[in-house]
Amino acid sequence: MNIIEIKDLKKEYPLGSTIVPALRGVDLEVGEGDFMSIIGPSGSGKTTLLNVIGCIDFATSGSVKVGGREITALSDRQITDIRLNNIGFIFQTFNLIPVLDVLENIEFPLLLMKRSGSEARRRAEKLAEEVGLKEYAAHRPAELSGGQRQRVAIARALVTNPGIVLADEPTANLDSVTGASILELMREMNELEKTTFIFSTHDANVLKYARRVVKIKDGLLEKEPAAA
Amino acid sequence: MKLTFTIAWRNILRHKGKSLVIGAILFTGAFLMTLGNGVVSGMAEGVRNNIINGFMGDIVLISDKQQSENILLNMTGTSIEPITSYKTIKRVLAGQPSVRRFLPAGKNLAMLLNDSSATPAFIYLLGADFAEYRKMFPDNFRVIEGSYPVSGARALLIPAAARDEMYDYGNIWYLPEGGSPVRKNLKKEALARIGELTVSSSVVMMGMTSGANTTTDVRFGVKGIISYRSLNKIFGHFCLVDIESYRECLGYFTSGDNSAEVPPEEKKLLGLDGSGLDALFGAGDLLVSAGAAHAVKQRTAAAVKKAPEDAENGAYNVVFIKLNDGVRYADAIAGLDRALKEAGAGVRAVPWNKASGPIGGMAVIIKGALFLFTALLFCVAVIIIVNTLTMAALERSSEIGMMRAVGARKSFISGMFLGETALLSAVFGGAGVLAGILAVEAIPLLKITTDNDMLQLLYGGDMFRPLLNSGDIALTVFQLVVVTVIASLYPMRVARSITPLDAISRD
Repeated sequence: MNIIEIKDLKKEYPLGSTIVPALRGVDLEVGEGDFMSIIGPSGSGKTTLLNVIGCIDFATSGSVKVGGREITALSDRQITDIRLNNIGFIFQTFNLIPVLDVLENIEFPLLLMKRSGSEARRRAEKLAEEVGLKEYAAHRPAELSGGQRQRVAIARALVTNPGIVLADEPTANLDSVTGASILELMREMNELEKTTFIFSTHDANVLKYARRVVKIKDGLLEKEPAAA
Repeated sequence: MKLTFTIAWRNILRHKGKSLVIGAILFTGAFLMTLGNGVVSGMAEGVRNNIINGFMGDIVLISDKQQSENILLNMTGTSIEPITSYKTIKRVLAGQPSVRRFLPAGKNLAMLLNDSSATPAFIYLLGADFAEYRKMFPDNFRVIEGSYPVSGARALLIPAAARDEMYDYGNIWYLPEGGSPVRKNLKKEALARIGELTVSSSVVMMGMTSGANTTTDVRFGVKGIISYRSLNKIFGHFCLVDIESYRECLGYFTSGDNSAEVPPEEKKLLGLDGSGLDALFGAGDLLVSAGAAHAVKQRTAAAVKKAPEDAENGAYNVVFIKLNDGVRYADAIAGLDRALKEAGAGVRAVPWNKASGPIGGMAVIIKGALFLFTALLFCVAVIIIVNTLTMAALERSSEIGMMRAVGARKSFISGMFLGETALLSAVFGGAGVLAGILAVEAIPLLKITTDNDMLQLLYGGDMFRPLLNSGDIALTVFQLVVVTVIASLYPMRVARSITPLDAISRD
């Protein structure tokens, strides 16, 4: 069953009097539990594609269904609720809340969902343990390394049991060893939590971690090779 | 809510510099507002108590013909209309449950006559029965030289402040009869010339009326020198004199004139309408001394014993009234006016704050000025807070965008900013209010006193004694809440406009 269905997705950005096409008719289907990488050079449109799937940006035309629901015509509040309940985000620069410690950052989306404090804390502790940060639970982001921060971001992305986790170049700001460990962790979590992972990268070395690779160039997806 | 305040509080601690700037402004505003309210309330309460208990009571009855209700310090020279129906008034007041005590009195301006000076000097005269005055306003002044006259005596009590002014005018140092200069009470200039000091125990004064009525020069024997316990500079313009001498000086009917000269028919006419008295009777009928305006009919200060009943036949200018505790002014005035009108007394009731003119309204004026000053201060505070919080919102675009990306609604972001400002207001503004309360409590312990006229007004008496009530504190808290909300509006709008895309685009 597909958790994401995209048909003829176009996204254009006005730049003064010029219209810059970022996506020029993308068709994509992503199945539940996939661990998929979108690969392409800088400016190819992979971040834009992730943003549209993640309800962070809006399509100029075309259809985008997330969890069977068309998202192109929803209100800000509905879109916000989809982001909260259905999608987890991992950012290139981690984007943690600097004044909250590890556990508080992880439980943050649960508290937005009005879950009880004790329930949120139990879930956050479980995920902190799964991403190997149990001992750092009370640390603030500034006291953590880049790899540790990204682990917190992964735990936070998974804490609400979302259907999809989107990661925009999650290893771009990490050294190769740490980056590899993060991808390993994402894959482990994909298997453990049965969550769909879609991550973008321009690093060919990370491809070995993906079960499915989608190449994008100049706003168009390249045809995927037939499954073996 | 807990999450919002947790983030807000930690952000305050994280940005200590900005928080301290905003906090200092809020603290200063709240402190000044609290202290200012305390000063104004203290002044209002002080003026109220000192005027009510020490000078004119809660309510003053004035003639229906009296245009200005300001009968305390009317600087225009307009005289106060006489009241000729005191016996009727007395009967009405005696039947009013709201009235605790009352005192009829004369109050007008008099010219001080002195051969040695071409420039006239003026002084207010307050004419009343000495014994009744003491009952109405016990301990409102002390006699610092001489003695307090007995009831019915012909005498003049001069305030020390007035004596100083009279010395400046005529170079005569007035002493009570049989007294000698007291060095500690001497004005500095008089002390310097003590060897050649001209002293006198009598004063010649001529009453001032704005009508065509002729007044009389009267020689008053000085019985004592007094000092008012509060607002001595203001009340110090008033010499206390027996009512009969006062009437003679102002050219009113004395009780003696009434009983001896005025037939009942004329008394009836006087009670009905005094506006055409001159036309009806001619000046000579109204005046004690007919003839030229400056014809001197000097009367000695021989003691004349009159029964109170007789004294009440003559003219007065005002009736001071003290109300029972807990009586509402509006109710009391309405009741009095109704009863007095029904009795045909020809007078109306005026509350003390109107009767005392600008002095009674001074608290309102200063409170308004203070409110304006604080409003300006809070405007500046709002601008600085708005600017600082807006900068903070823009600096935190990435963080806010991330919050939006992971599912935070706009209302959560608004709440976070409002929470930050609310916490700053609560902590620093609250500290400002507390500091203001402490200052208000501590200032009376310093026992700051003044002899300056204007400062006495500001203090509401001789001592600086700020006072806070719950309404003042509530007003300050309300202002803080308004500042908080207004200061948060624009930064909240800026923060709400930050999209999840900003979390990525600013990376």
